[in-house]
Amino acid sequence: MPNRHRTTPLLSWALAASFALCATAIGWVFWATPIDDNLGIVQKIFYIHVGAAFAMLLCMVAAAGAAVVDLMAPNEPVDAFGRAFTEVGLVFALIVLTSGPLWARKSWGAWWTWEPRLTLTLLAAFIAVAVIAVRGFAAGPRGGRKIGNALIVLAAPTAYLIHIAVQKWGGTHPQVIQGGGIANWQMRLAFWGCVAAILAVAFAMVALRGRVLRLQTTVADLQLERQAVQLRRARQQAQALSQTALAASLNTAPPA
Amino acid sequence: MSTAQLTWTLFRKDVAIAARSREVLGFLVIFSLLCAVVFAFGFLREGRAAQEHVPGVLWVTLLFTNTLGLLRLYSADEEAGAWTLALRSIGGPTPLFWSKAMLQLGFSTIVCVVLWPAVAIFLDARAIAVHWTALALLLGLLGQALFGALCAGLLAQIRLREVLLPLVLYPLAAPLLLAGVKVTALALDGAQWPEMQSWLLLMLAFDAIAVVLCPWLFARAVT
Repeated sequence: MPNRHRTTPLLSWALAASFALCATAIGWVFWATPIDDNLGIVQKIFYIHVGAAFAMLLCMVAAAGAAVVDLMAPNEPVDAFGRAFTEVGLVFALIVLTSGPLWARKSWGAWWTWEPRLTLTLLAAFIAVAVIAVRGFAAGPRGGRKIGNALIVLAAPTAYLIHIAVQKWGGTHPQVIQGGGIANWQMRLAFWGCVAAILAVAFAMVALRGRVLRLQTTVADLQLERQAVQLRRARQQAQALSQTALAASLNTAPPA
Repeated sequence: MSTAQLTWTLFRKDVAIAARSREVLGFLVIFSLLCAVVFAFGFLREGRAAQEHVPGVLWVTLLFTNTLGLLRLYSADEEAGAWTLALRSIGGPTPLFWSKAMLQLGFSTIVCVVLWPAVAIFLDARAIAVHWTALALLLGLLGQALFGALCAGLLAQIRLREVLLPLVLYPLAAPLLLAGVKVTALALDGAQWPEMQSWLLLMLAFDAIAVVLCPWLFARAVT
């Protein structure tokens, strides 16, 4: 009987290809792009930072979409991929929140400023942590499913605010893409290559994590089924024993 | 009975229970005052607390006090074994949500009425542009009550809910807190509508999202 839960060769290849693409893009960033006149070598963080921010934003929007679908019409694969999007979104939020201060120290002279986009990225990461914690503390793999989905739906407006924060409030966050783009073609190629590679890695991670979560649910279902069978068998044995004991007591009872 | 009538009936029931037991509101008021005093101790400089700390102390104390109130919001129903019955009543879970949100808003408004002058006295704040702070407090408390009633309801049946509630609520309520602190600080500096417009509109937008999303999510997720 074929194992339908085995990791498919396509997924393995996609994962390997995404990591290879990522390695190539990072190699291009360090060996082929010129060093920025103002910021120096630190500017190279930009290639990873922006790609990770795109991946985080996409994962959060996808997680919110999956949560809405699962709340309207519960569906196991949608729930598994929604959880995977949340977890991978958190990973990329942490990358953004780590790489951002490294760049900010050089660019703004401070590790952290309470600028709207930074603040809301931090809040979005906290919301993702809260969702994962709620699902972790609820009993069973399906426990806290609706609650986690409800919270991630509430996180969607936050993700939207992250996107529009700079335009709306006029923060000090640099706007390279909207503000005229990247002049140098080598930098432009490296930037979009990094974005594509990071998005490919993100989606490969989501595919893999979604598959693991679905397997966990299947295993939990099988364990429940096994427990139910064992309970049924134990009840039948107890009934048979009690009937035997009753028959024996009737047979050995002294005549009145 | 319509949803509004059911909500009103449940709200009256909750208010009657709260008035009879008198256990929650009194403690919330005392806790908020104590919290403000502790904050004031933290900001004392040469025996005087500076008024620039007023917005932070006021809003953070309100958030902490609201969290304490939210932990007891659904406990009366749970302890009486009426949680499932209330959820499965004729009108569904929506009237329960609205009644709890109204109760929480009522509690936090009463706390705020006592706390705000107390913080102003403790930290020696001037009474300038009070109406803008009042508007921000109204918007902030409404948003906190809606988000809080949803989060407390979602976590009502979960282990370690006391630990999880702040973890869930604070990031969601933080934009309201941020905007509220900013408006209060601007009001104390004598700023007018054009300067605080964007922050008040942000609070209004969050409240609008809360009014639409929270009852829907409660009905979907708690049942």
